[in-house]
Amino acid sequence: MPNSKYDVIVIGGGHNGLVNAAYLARAGKKVLVLERRYVLGGAAVTEELYPGFKFSVFSYVVSLLRPEIIRDLDLPRHGLEILPLDGTFTPMPSGDYLWRVNDHGKTHREIARHSKTDAEAYDEFGKAMQAMCRFVKPILSMVPPDPSTLNPRALMKLLFLGKRFRGLDIEDQYNQVQLMTMSAVDFLDQWFETDVLKATMSASGIIGTFLGVRSPGTAYVLLHHYMGEIDGAFRSWGFARGGTGAISNAIADAAREAGAEIRTEAGIASIIVKNGSAKGVVLANGDEIYANVVSSSVDPRLTFINFIEKGNLPDEFLDEISRYKFRGSSGKVNLALDALPDFKSLPGVGPHLRGAISISPSVEYMERAYDDAKYGNFSRRPYIDMVIPTLTDTSIAPPGKHIMSCFVQYAPYKLRPGTNWDDQKEAFGDNVINTIAEHAPNIKDIILFKQVLTPLDLERDFGLSEGNIFQGELSLEQLFFLRPVPGYAQFRTPIKNLYMCGSATHPGGGIMGAPGRLAALEILKDYSGSA
Amino acid sequence: MAQNSPRANHDVVIIGGGHNGLVTAFYLARAGHKPLVLERRPQPGGAAVTEEFHPGFRCSILSHSAGPLRPQIISDMQLEKHGLKMLATETSLAALSPDGRALIFYDEVNKSAKEIAGFSSKDAPRFVDFQQALARISSPIADLMAVTPPNIDEPSKGDVWEMLKTGRALRGLGKKDLYRLLRWGPMAVADLVSEFFETELLRAAVAARGIFGTFLGPWSAGSSLALLLRAAGDPHPVGTTQFAAGGMGALTQAMGSAAQQAGAEIRCGVEVIEIRVKDGVATGLILSNGEEISARAIVSNADPRRTLLGLIDPIHLAPNFVAKLQHYRMPGTLAKINLALSVLPTFPALSAERKHALAGRIHIGPDIDYLEHAFDDSKYGNFSSHPVLEVVIPSLTDPQLAPSGRHVMSIYVQYAPYKLKNGDWESQRTHLCDTVIKTLAEYAPDLPKSILHHQIITPKDLEDTYGLTGGHIFHGELALDQFFTMRPLLGWARYRTPIKNLFLCGSGTHPGTGLTGASGANAAREILKDLRGK
Repeated sequence: MPNSKYDVIVIGGGHNGLVNAAYLARAGKKVLVLERRYVLGGAAVTEELYPGFKFSVFSYVVSLLRPEIIRDLDLPRHGLEILPLDGTFTPMPSGDYLWRVNDHGKTHREIARHSKTDAEAYDEFGKAMQAMCRFVKPILSMVPPDPSTLNPRALMKLLFLGKRFRGLDIEDQYNQVQLMTMSAVDFLDQWFETDVLKATMSASGIIGTFLGVRSPGTAYVLLHHYMGEIDGAFRSWGFARGGTGAISNAIADAAREAGAEIRTEAGIASIIVKNGSAKGVVLANGDEIYANVVSSSVDPRLTFINFIEKGNLPDEFLDEISRYKFRGSSGKVNLALDALPDFKSLPGVGPHLRGAISISPSVEYMERAYDDAKYGNFSRRPYIDMVIPTLTDTSIAPPGKHIMSCFVQYAPYKLRPGTNWDDQKEAFGDNVINTIAEHAPNIKDIILFKQVLTPLDLERDFGLSEGNIFQGELSLEQLFFLRPVPGYAQFRTPIKNLYMCGSATHPGGGIMGAPGRLAALEILKDYSGSA
Repeated sequence: MAQNSPRANHDVVIIGGGHNGLVTAFYLARAGHKPLVLERRPQPGGAAVTEEFHPGFRCSILSHSAGPLRPQIISDMQLEKHGLKMLATETSLAALSPDGRALIFYDEVNKSAKEIAGFSSKDAPRFVDFQQALARISSPIADLMAVTPPNIDEPSKGDVWEMLKTGRALRGLGKKDLYRLLRWGPMAVADLVSEFFETELLRAAVAARGIFGTFLGPWSAGSSLALLLRAAGDPHPVGTTQFAAGGMGALTQAMGSAAQQAGAEIRCGVEVIEIRVKDGVATGLILSNGEEISARAIVSNADPRRTLLGLIDPIHLAPNFVAKLQHYRMPGTLAKINLALSVLPTFPALSAERKHALAGRIHIGPDIDYLEHAFDDSKYGNFSSHPVLEVVIPSLTDPQLAPSGRHVMSIYVQYAPYKLKNGDWESQRTHLCDTVIKTLAEYAPDLPKSILHHQIITPKDLEDTYGLTGGHIFHGELALDQFFTMRPLLGWARYRTPIKNLFLCGSGTHPGTGLTGASGANAAREILKDLRGK
């Protein structure tokens, strides 16, 4: 295509689209990124929703961002600074609490307050999980093989996985199998007896999924979140200074420096396909832009159903795409606060407010929250993960004022018949505030501003189908060589020169960047061969 | 048959005369050994027994329809010759709806499809597709059932060969079906059925097979695997229905007779209370009457927890092995109610020309939400307020089970969790029975007044009377983490145990799904290898 202006057009300026663009631009390709919104970052954005308050609108903590991406793109030079988030505080209705921090001795004593055996098991558990993370991590940087081919290279890859597995000692093999198949609670039951500890730990197994803490398969999501790593330290989470959008901005900066062109407020209407090959895109304003390759960071439903004219894709593939499960299950409430919340179980301002605050008092509480969602209701008493980033990063709010970011689950995208999210939005937000007020009664008096995001808002505003924050559930049948759909896990699509590079591809969601990077490497492989 | 054996020294002793124990005994005897089977109860059969529970009324006390017993085993043991007569029913399952309709499934797929067309013209052809896909996809699993799980650390030549064969069988599926197998395994069965069907009653009838006997709801991931495992023996989406003439006890009676004819000895009414271990080697058994029996090899048909944690001094096992076995999941969720009836109850949904469907299984649990709600109760330690029921009236097919004109009804009840939050099963048993009768009366209003007698078997009874730890009928959950090389534990899936000369042959080993006999046959093959090696 000698007439093409660009080598590659990347659809969507979320973190994966930007990572994809940066790697392609660094390899010398002429890249154009098209973002529908006025701001870059997708679900990883900072916006000033209320004068003086800069909110991490959706995604609010970081840890999964691949170290090789930080290194390759030299993100710190482009302004990325991660501030540590220390600890998880879980208030309980009994008036007690569980407060784990990064300080080993303190956490040991705290857990021992609930159960001595759990305090011992906690150390063992940490070690076991680290071994698992070491096993799984290389898989995150691997293009999934296709188990149905007879291609020797794919078979070698499978063999390699088998060998690595056999290289684990029997204890670790045992743990690994369980992590891939069990429910988070069943897995944790084997280690711990303290209910509130299990409830809070299991919470990371359900984030972004339409599963309960007792649903098989959630142990894997637990591990997925356990792999958080900052500067080589496992299991550490942090904030980006300036909000989550600062990560996207740093990646965008690196992409631009490498020569990529990035346009905002440039939503696309369709992908141009001719003779089974992608040729470019049509913008919402009708402009046509041509390129040799189109790389889509938006989810498969948008890419294949909304943006591609019927008849260009095999029916069987479209069937698979229509079966791909999104089922968003979470919402978000962002608050601008006049003061800090005061928790009944640990009153006053203290370091417990600097980390995550988790409303997950018992396994039964978590499970009942899920039960509501199964039948199409938002949880009457939801799981809430809250952070107050202003205690760590003073640059995002006026002095003395605070931002509180509340991730809420469950908020099922599909409500029961007869109800819809536009009508339920206010009740949902109030319910979240009421739930927080049970633990921190002063919350209602200190709210200056409130933003409520339902799964429908996530779909409409952020382009996430059915409001799924991972662009599709992280359930076993949608992972690795099955993500997004069988036979198309290698970032390629049935259409030539059209690639996928978003969270709907291996290894999935979170601010990880791995799909964007892996897709870029695959595009470059094909490119050098054909163009 | 229970005579005290004069010999104290035995070749092989098998603890428990359930169907797998009898299958193992048969194969060992056929190979020239003299196995001795020790059964605690008055008759062998384990969970497949017929008893007179009310004067003149006999019924399959637990397992009430013949599962997919492996054809190879039937022919090896020549069970027909030993008195087994299978009775096929015209219909396999009737799923009832509260609106008074019924969906009847036949053995023949096209007949079922025709019936389904009355509910949805879209679903009828999809049912045929589904049944065919299920048959294709479950066939490599069926092959796998007859195979000893490989030693993953040091695969032997034989293991590699078996794996290659399995690999080839998988490739033979073709790309589409292979991916289906990989994708379906970990799925929630509710998702799977809604990919195919739009009729709730049909979805629920198929999904019920994925959750039967497990602590899973239809929305639980992995419930599709349970469906696939069951389909490996019988690819009919809801399962076919067959009875043994004389009840399920007739099946195990025939097995016992075959084993004895081959040279096995069966002693009933003797309870093993300890397995003797010396220097890591099993040497013999102690019975509750104080008698000691020494043996060259000991095979346990009891579940893995009962065997290794209940009968062996823990000093002989590594602490982390014990810890893992303690976490082997066996949360029973089934109860059983057997009724003696004065007359055949009337099910308005199955009257007149549809009355023939009463002879098959009857499914109560009309939609996915109903099944899931029933499961929700059990998560919090309550039995379902609206339970899922599988009902059979075997006396319609086999009149000898009840006095003339009268009937027996056998009901599997789910969910009845082993661990109750409030009270214990002793105090809750009547309440459970009332709930079941009330639920069933919504579909057969005249049922309550025809009940002459009821027998209630709670999960606690399953444990106490039938030796099923946790009341789990499959000797442990059929879940991805307890399947194949991980059943019962990773590293111990080859019918051997950390104790030398002690083997497992029950449903707690691969493949362990219902009445297939495959665990017993696989175990016998491995035991023979080790015995020959000596």
